[in-house]
Amino acid sequence: MQPQLKSKVRCADREVGEVAKVIMDPLSFEVSAFVVSMNGAGERQVPMGVVQTVTDNLVQLRSSSSEVMALPPFKREDYVTLHEVEIPGLEKHVHVTPGEVLVPFPELERNVKRRTFFANLTYVTGLFIGLPMVFPVLKYLMKPMYAPMDNRWLKIGNVAKVKANDVGVQFQYKRSIKEAYMPETEIEKNAWVVKATPAVLEKVYQGKDMEFRDTLGKPIWTNKKDIPYLAFSGKCPHLGCAFKWRNHKILGPVFLCPCHLSIYDASGKVLDGPAPRPLDLMPIQVSASGEVQIIDMEFKAGTKSQTRIV
Amino acid sequence: MQKAEVIRTRSHSSCIVRQAPPGIWMNDHMSPTKLGFGILWPACWTGLPFKLALAVLFLAFGIVDFETRIALAFMMLLASPVSVFALPTITMGLGSHIGDGAGIGLLFMLAIPIDIWALGLAGRTFLLERCRREPPARLGLILWWKCAFVGAIFLPILWVTERATTDVAISIAHSLFEDGFLEGTPIAERISIELTLWGTVATVVLSCLFVIGLSLVGRMLRGTIQAAPHTSENYEGLITRWDLMRVPADPGLMLTVLSGVAVVLSLLFWSTLPVLTPHPHECCRKAETKAPPEFKALETLNKDEKMISQLAARVEFLIEQQAAAELEKAKSKKKGRADHEAVIEPDATEPVPAAVMAP
Amino acid sequence: MHDTPSTGPQPTVVEKVFAFVDERVGLKQLTGKMLNESVPGGSRWAYVFGSILLFIFGMQTVTGVLLMFYYVPTADHAYASTQYIIHEVDYGWFLLSYHFWGSSAMVVCVFAHMSQVFLWGAYKKPRELIWVVGLALFALVMGFGFTGYLLPWDQRAFWATTVGVEIMDKIPVIGDFLARFLKGGPIPGQMTLSRFFVIHVMVLPAALIGLAGLHLFLFRCAGPAGPFRGTPVELKAKTDYFFPRQIWKDIVGMAVVFACISALAFWEPVVLLDEATPDPGDYHPEPEWYFLFIFQHLRLRMFSGEFGQFLASMLLPGLLGVMLLLLPFFDRNPERNIFKRPLALIGWVVLTVSILLFTVSAIINREFLD
Repeated sequence: MQPQLKSKVRCADREVGEVAKVIMDPLSFEVSAFVVSMNGAGERQVPMGVVQTVTDNLVQLRSSSSEVMALPPFKREDYVTLHEVEIPGLEKHVHVTPGEVLVPFPELERNVKRRTFFANLTYVTGLFIGLPMVFPVLKYLMKPMYAPMDNRWLKIGNVAKVKANDVGVQFQYKRSIKEAYMPETEIEKNAWVVKATPAVLEKVYQGKDMEFRDTLGKPIWTNKKDIPYLAFSGKCPHLGCAFKWRNHKILGPVFLCPCHLSIYDASGKVLDGPAPRPLDLMPIQVSASGEVQIIDMEFKAGTKSQTRIV
Repeated sequence: MQKAEVIRTRSHSSCIVRQAPPGIWMNDHMSPTKLGFGILWPACWTGLPFKLALAVLFLAFGIVDFETRIALAFMMLLASPVSVFALPTITMGLGSHIGDGAGIGLLFMLAIPIDIWALGLAGRTFLLERCRREPPARLGLILWWKCAFVGAIFLPILWVTERATTDVAISIAHSLFEDGFLEGTPIAERISIELTLWGTVATVVLSCLFVIGLSLVGRMLRGTIQAAPHTSENYEGLITRWDLMRVPADPGLMLTVLSGVAVVLSLLFWSTLPVLTPHPHECCRKAETKAPPEFKALETLNKDEKMISQLAARVEFLIEQQAAAELEKAKSKKKGRADHEAVIEPDATEPVPAAVMAP
Repeated sequence: MHDTPSTGPQPTVVEKVFAFVDERVGLKQLTGKMLNESVPGGSRWAYVFGSILLFIFGMQTVTGVLLMFYYVPTADHAYASTQYIIHEVDYGWFLLSYHFWGSSAMVVCVFAHMSQVFLWGAYKKPRELIWVVGLALFALVMGFGFTGYLLPWDQRAFWATTVGVEIMDKIPVIGDFLARFLKGGPIPGQMTLSRFFVIHVMVLPAALIGLAGLHLFLFRCAGPAGPFRGTPVELKAKTDYFFPRQIWKDIVGMAVVFACISALAFWEPVVLLDEATPDPGDYHPEPEWYFLFIFQHLRLRMFSGEFGQFLASMLLPGLLGVMLLLLPFFDRNPERNIFKRPLALIGWVVLTVSILLFTVSAIINREFLD
C-alpha cells in the first residue's frame, strides 16, 4: 500500500507530522520517498526504506523523531508535478488519495438493454446507408476491366510476300484503338505468316479444325485444317516479347525470341526455352486474290493454357 | 418546497397539473395549437426516414416521377398523417398534382401504417411528458384517423385559399408595375420588389392557415388527450418511461429483422438502379444496336447449292442457245448458196428446265 | 461497443481483445471520455447538423475519389472524361449526380448548422473559438463549391468561373494578383483547370480535415451548450450520454440526408451543356445557386459601376463576414434563449429572408435575359 496523502506520520517515539507530498520513481513506478510536514517545523523528505508499516491513515517509521529531524530539508525546486511532465503509464500506478470522486450516473443510462439496443441500432442504420452503395461502386470501378473484345478483320498484306514453304514471314499492320474517352489512335503490330506443308499443318491442327469463340462462348471463326496459311501472334507466349525468324546453328530455321531464348519451329511448337505453350494462332482468311486478313488477338503471357485478353 | 395546486378543469383545457414542482416548464391549459404542433411535428419527422427510404426505392424502380414538384411532394410526404386523404381531392378535384406515376398512390398507402406507428410513439411521449397522463391503447390509430379526417377537409381549403390569395397578390403586384405608380423601375429591382410584395402576403396567409390547421388538429385530438387518466409518477420516472418505450421488447429480433430489411432493400435497389443515365445528353445518345443476324450455316449452304445448280443450268442453256444461233447463221449462209435445200431445224435440244425461268 | 463490464462467467472474445488493448492504451478510459460525454437536457435532433456535415463531407470524399478514377483535369479531355463517366461507366451517372447534389446539401446543412448555433446562442462565452473556426469551415465549403464547379469544363462551368474570378479582380490592391493566381494567367485556360483541381482535391480537403478536427476538439473542451431553457430538474432527468443516443440520432439524420441526396440524384441527374468555348454564344453565365443572391445584387442599379460592383460582390459580403466573426466578442449578454434576444431573432430572420428573396429573384430574372 502506498502512503496516503494527509495521513499521519509516526516515528518510533512519537508522531511527527503528516504526509504532505509523495515522490514517485519514474522508472520503477514505485513510491521512492514522501515528504513529511512537521507541524510547523518545516518539511523533510523521508525515503521509503525507513518505513515500517503503512495503513490508511498512518505511516509508521522505524527511525526516531530526531533522526527524521536531522534529515535535510525538502527542496521543492528539484521536483515537478505530474501535470507538468509526460511520463507514460505512471498515472495508473498512483494510489495516494483515499476515497473516490464521483458524479451522478444519469438515470436514462442505467439500462444496459437500452444502451446495447441503441448501439446496435446505430450499426444497422449504418447498414442502410453503406450497403446500397457497395454494388454500384464495385461495378463502377470494374467497368474497363472486362471490356468486350474487338473481332474485326484486319488486312495485313498479301501472300505474294510468302515465297517459300514452312518459313516465317513477318507482316506488319496497324490496329486502331479507342480507349474510353481518348481519341482513336493506331498502334503498330506484327504477325508471322507461314505457308505450311501438310506435315507441318498436321503438327499444328492434329486433325481438328481450330475454333475461336468469344467470351460468351459463341463461335467467331474456325481455322480449317486444310488451309495452308498460318498466322501466329507476334508476341512470345513466355512474356510477350517480339520474336524473330532465324537460322539456328543446330535446329535450323526457327522462330527465336531474343528476350529469354525461347525457340519454336515453323509449326509453333516449343523446341527449347522457357515458353509454357506453343505460339498462339490467330483466325486467318486468305482471299482469292491473296489478301490476308486476320482477327488480331493477344493472349495472356506466361501461362500453359491459352487465355485471350485482347 | 412543493406546492400542491389543484386547478379546476375548464372545458377547453387539455391538461391538468396536480403536483407541479416549481419551475417545471409545464402547461396548465395547453392551447390547441400547441397541442396539435406538439404531437404532429415529432410524428411527421419520426415517420419521414421510412417514407423516404420507400420514395428512393420507387424512384429507382421508375414508378414515380416528381418533375418540378419535388419540394411540394416532399412536404406532402412529410405531412402524410394529414395529407393522405387530402391528396386525392387536391389531385383530382383541384387539378394539381405532385408528380406522375402509379408509385405515388402506393407510397402514401404504405405511409399509413408508418404514420400510425409514429403518431402512437409521439402521442405516448407527449402524454407522458407534457400532460402526465397514461396513454391509452391503440393511441396511434385513434390519433391517425383524427388527423387524417381534419387534413382531408382542411388541406384542400388551405390549398384553394392559398392559391387564390397568391394569384390575387401576384396580379396586384404586376399591375403596380405595368401601369401603376411603380412603372419604369428597372427589371432587377422590379422582380425583387414584386416578389417581396406578393411573397409577404402569401407567407402571412400560409402561416395563418397553418396555425389554424394545427389548432383544428389540436381541437380534434383534445378529446382523446383529456380522456386519458392521470399518472402520479414523478417527472424522472415519466422521462425514463418514454425513453425506454423506444427499446423494443425483443431487441435482437428487431435488429435482425431490420438488417434483413436493409439487405432486401439493397438487393431491390441494385436490381432496378439504371446502369446508364436515364437522361442522356444529346452528344452521347446510345445508337440502337441491332444484333447481327444469326449465321445459319446449313441453310446458307443449301441455298447456295440450289443457286449454283440453277446458275449452272442457265449457263448450259445459254451455251446451247448460242450454239444453236451459230448453227443458224452457218445454215443461213449455206442457204444463201444452196437455194432449195431443206433446212433441217436442229432439235431444240433439252427442254428448258422450269427452274431456269425463275431467277 | 460493449464497454460495460461483463457480468457473465466467461469473457467473450470481444471483451478479451478489449481488455488486451485497454492494458496497453487505456482504452476503457479513452472510450469513456470520448463516448460518455453527458448531454445536458438529453440528446436532441436539433444537434445532428454538425455530424450530418461530417457525413456529407465523407460521402463527397468517397464519391470524389471514385470520380477521379475516370476524370482527367486537362482542357482537352475534362469534358470527354466527364461525359464518359455519365454515359459509359456503370452507375457513373448516379455517383456524379450524388456528388453534385451532395455539394448543394452541404451548403444547406452548413446554413442550418450555423443557424442552429446562432439561435441557440451557442457561440457565446466560452465557445467563441468554436464559432470562429466554424466560420473558416464555412468559407472552405464555399471554396469547395466554387472550385469544383469548373471541373466538368462545359459552358456553364467555364463561364460561371470566369465571371466569378473577374469579380475577384475588382478587389482593390490585391485583386489583379488574386485573379491571376487563380486563373494561372491573364485568361482562363488549362492553368486555371489545373489550379482549381489541385485546390479542390488536395488543398481544401486537407484544410477542412484539419479545421474540422480543431472544431471538434474545441467543442469537446467547452462541452455542449444544451437547451436554452429548462429547470435543473428537467435537465437532470433528461440527461443522457453522447453514446449511444445522440450518435444514433446523428446516424438517422445521416440516413435521411443520404436518402434525400439519392432522391435528388434520380430526379435530376447531371446533364452537361456543350463543351467550353472561348465564346459564350447564347449562354448566359450564372454561378452556382448558393451564390445567386450576390449575383442578383450585381444587377441592381444602385450597384452599377466599378465601385458599386465591388461593393455588392466583395465589400458587403465581406463586412457581413467580419460582423459574424466578431459576433461572440461584442455580444456579451449571457442570455441564450432566442425568444429573449429580439435583435438576434430579427437579424436572423431578415438575413435568411433576404438571401431567399434574392436567390428566387435571380431565378425569375432568367426569363428576362433575352
